Amino acid sequence: MEVAMEEAVAPSGCSSTTTTMDDDFICAWNDWNPAVDWGSFSSVADDFHELIESMMCPDAVDSPDGLMSVSQTPSYNSSPSSMATSADTPAEEDARAGGGHDGDDKGLRLVHLLVAAAEALAGPHKSPELARVILVRLKELVSQAGAGAGVGGTSIERLTLHFTDALQGLLDGGTSAHCGGRNSFRDGHLHHHTSDVLTAFQLLQDMSPYIKFGHFTANQAILEETRGDRRIHIIDYDIAEGVQWASLLQALVSRPGGSQPPHLRITAVTRGGSRAMRETGRLLAAFAASVGQPFSFSQCRLDADEQFRPAGVKVVKGETLVMNCVLHPTMNNTRSGSASSVASFLLGAVELGAKVVTLVEEEEQEQYEEKGFVRRFMGELHRYSAVWDSLEAGFPMQGKARGMVERVILAPRIAGAVGRAYRDSKEEETDGGWGKWMAVMGFGRVTISCFNHCQAKLLLGLFNDGYRVEEDGSNNLVLGWKSRRLLAASVWKPPLSPPPPCPPSPIRVGIVTPDGLTNSFEDSDFVSD
Amino acid sequence: MTFEGGPDPNLSPNRHHQHHVMDWLEDSVSFLSSFLDDSYAGNTADQITSYEWWTQEEDQANMIHNPLVSTLATSNNSPLLPQAEFSKKRKLSTNPTTPNKTPTHQNRQRIAIEGDGGFEEEGEANKKPAATGRKNQGKGNAGSSSNGVSKEVRWAEQLLNPCAAAIEAANISRVRHLFCVLQELQSFSGDANHRLAAHGLRALSNHISAAGIAIPNRGETPAATFATTEPKLFRSAIIKFHEVSPWFAFPSSLANASILQTLTLDPSRHARSLHVVDIGVSHGVQWPTLLDALARRPGGAPKLVRLAVAGGAAPPGPFSVAPPGYDFQSHLLRYARSIDLNLRIDHTEDLGAGSVALTVGETLVVCVQFRAGHGRADDRTAFLRSIRELEPDLVVLSEIDGGGGGEVGFPAGFARNAELLWTFLDSTSAAFKGRDSGERRVMEGEAARFLETAASEGRDMWRERMATMGFREEAFGEEALDAGKALLRKYDGNWEMKAAPAEAAVGLWWKGHPVSFCSLWKPHRRN
Repeated sequence: MEVAMEEAVAPSGCSSTTTTMDDDFICAWNDWNPAVDWGSFSSVADDFHELIESMMCPDAVDSPDGLMSVSQTPSYNSSPSSMATSADTPAEEDARAGGGHDGDDKGLRLVHLLVAAAEALAGPHKSPELARVILVRLKELVSQAGAGAGVGGTSIERLTLHFTDALQGLLDGGTSAHCGGRNSFRDGHLHHHTSDVLTAFQLLQDMSPYIKFGHFTANQAILEETRGDRRIHIIDYDIAEGVQWASLLQALVSRPGGSQPPHLRITAVTRGGSRAMRETGRLLAAFAASVGQPFSFSQCRLDADEQFRPAGVKVVKGETLVMNCVLHPTMNNTRSGSASSVASFLLGAVELGAKVVTLVEEEEQEQYEEKGFVRRFMGELHRYSAVWDSLEAGFPMQGKARGMVERVILAPRIAGAVGRAYRDSKEEETDGGWGKWMAVMGFGRVTISCFNHCQAKLLLGLFNDGYRVEEDGSNNLVLGWKSRRLLAASVWKPPLSPPPPCPPSPIRVGIVTPDGLTNSFEDSDFVSD
Repeated sequence: MTFEGGPDPNLSPNRHHQHHVMDWLEDSVSFLSSFLDDSYAGNTADQITSYEWWTQEEDQANMIHNPLVSTLATSNNSPLLPQAEFSKKRKLSTNPTTPNKTPTHQNRQRIAIEGDGGFEEEGEANKKPAATGRKNQGKGNAGSSSNGVSKEVRWAEQLLNPCAAAIEAANISRVRHLFCVLQELQSFSGDANHRLAAHGLRALSNHISAAGIAIPNRGETPAATFATTEPKLFRSAIIKFHEVSPWFAFPSSLANASILQTLTLDPSRHARSLHVVDIGVSHGVQWPTLLDALARRPGGAPKLVRLAVAGGAAPPGPFSVAPPGYDFQSHLLRYARSIDLNLRIDHTEDLGAGSVALTVGETLVVCVQFRAGHGRADDRTAFLRSIRELEPDLVVLSEIDGGGGGEVGFPAGFARNAELLWTFLDSTSAAFKGRDSGERRVMEGEAARFLETAASEGRDMWRERMATMGFREEAFGEEALDAGKALLRKYDGNWEMKAAPAEAAVGLWWKGHPVSFCSLWKPHRRN
């Protein structure tokens, strides 16, 4: 039963032998994928008022809602280590609740200012000076509210603080914010102690289904598509710390049928340094060994242009090839690539003849009148406001815990997302998301099973009532919060012949050798079969 | 206020007169509204000293804080020398007595600071107006270059102008968005941008509520205006403003000098009456110095000086309306008595021959300052025609030099007015040394009414219009120009006087951009 995986990888539910490793995974885990698809906001008319109105929801949730308070998730309470770090601060909660109508009004003002700052940074009336002045005002407003350090204040004030910091990073980075965004993320990320990061990841795992939804849906599709195959080879575009595969390893061992589990090889696509990747491989191999799963791990570098070279992948005859692509909205720009890099990876599935391609992504929303950076910025604001809302609805009394998750995990992601939006808006736009692109490129849809759908619903059942899962097309599951779509997981089958070249990425013609042995590839670091 | 020594033989009587000016001003000892043309009065030293009294502290501060202070205080920069001498020395740049020859007044000398331009950054003018004041003096293009930078720091217009465009396009949500942002950034006490945001927001708010659109407004306090100001503060504000900014003082000075010149050039007029029709915005502040100069004219004062205050003759505009209860007549009359000048003051609401009681043989000057550009086009034409029909000996016309011409749409007109108001606010930042005060608020609140007027036209339009009315333009006399130049040195170094060789009119510029012009006109007379 796949749902059981969830218990197995949850830090609080692990045995002593696996806890260390899980903690390592989680500590280094960096795989949170709220994707956005604001299709349900088709009514958004001429500007972002819809956004502002929806931004008000976090405050509205403050009002007592029977259903929501009942759904205090057991997973949170079952985690004593988390409890210790999330002692309530009643005064803070009172202050927030006391915001009342003024709070709504202030939230509205903050959002107006944020959007105006984004416009001043990159809009048609570009003015760094105006952006600077607006950011000064924003900081005044949030520090008045005590949210200056990212702990006090209302939800929207803390959200505003992190977006303000993100914009400030862009402004300080100057016109060539290409580097500024990255640096600001890294600095922000490094500010936090490892133990804080660990705790915060545990908290987020316990507080929301964002992480597991993408992993579970993709893994279940992989399990179904590789049923009966003896050798499975997964090429992972962005493996991060490999959390996704820990649950897959467990599922493979506990597959019904009693036969010996299939061999699993994972090839992690890397760019640049592979040291962290080796560590991920080591941890995965150790975990596989502990559960008795035959496993090997390799790496495949992107070339200097961040293009994926199918020829660089070692493919063994007779193995089932799976391509997994989880696109992060993160600051972790060294891994989640440019549009042309992603395209080269997805097209690589055609060349390599992959059996199935799993994609977890956020989609570009197209409902805003604004263009370029402002539009993307509003999308990010919208997305993270939903995240804020969902965390607050699920854990209204755990302000301190939420503050920590926001500060340690979400704030760097916001910085990264905003920085990325800024850079991407100067490059090509990939409207409609990769799913749409794949359909155009001739990829076939692999229907998501009823079981997979039910599993997602079960997962969501562990959390607040506000989460939704819906099918958007036969091969696409969407995780939503209330009426907002957060994350889309879709399953695809590559076309039989290479598609014609198509923007944004030219197809790189590579030579595919059936066994790949003659091609250069990274040595297999850890083999456990 | 002290004045120590100086080559001027008329010093003592001048001090006496100055004393009476102070009487007139009562509670504002530092005031001097305008700069007397010393070629007539022969002594400007006290007046200069009064300005110097005001600036002294600043220069000392510069000396203390800036290690690069040089001792190169040339007499070109020294205000202590009498004007006539000064203008000669300017021409004779090799004059050996020029450098370092004013030791007794060292603490009052202009201090030239080497390389000061290099320290100025964007926005500095707003943060440290005191430090930037006057330092650029004498550097021809310093003002222009700093203005090129300042365009980027003018963020308020980057919110206001799109907002005006959105109003024109009836994009209500966009307007609402920009209103919200402006509300967060506006402030009457902040730097020029914040203040422009505050005034611009109110103007736009009025504009749309006039159009019947309601935008939620969070408890805005209205800006102070002349009409709503308490009379005592009003007087204090206009006096202080003349003291610290040439915005009105410069045109007043040119006007007064030209009126005196008109009397001088025609010796036959010496004993005749002078009749000045005042259609301006000075609210009396312009006249003490003229009266003083008239009383001390070498040829003797006119037997009668008539001042016809005709503010109602032109459509009202910014700065034209004084608060109820404000009265400068009695002060002016008392002052005239103290200097043995025969002054008569009349009030009239129009320029009909019956209203302005003309007397045969008097010299008639119509002084129109910042009042001819308001109201409908018909009104303006009628106003100028009524002036022409008076057959005046001289018309002084000062107006804002908007640089444009003809009618423009709302967003473009608003943008031009906003730029004008920016200039005003930027210059008052410097004039008041960045300090918020009741006086500054009154002046700026009234200046914000620019935003409610039609966009100002350029001086070419005015020249055309006056010619059509049957006037011919007169050049300013050299003494008037010298007086203007000397006056301007008392103010922030970003002010410039521009007298193009091909043009008779004289321009007042701020940071390399025209603000206003002053011109002289006489009726064409068929012989």
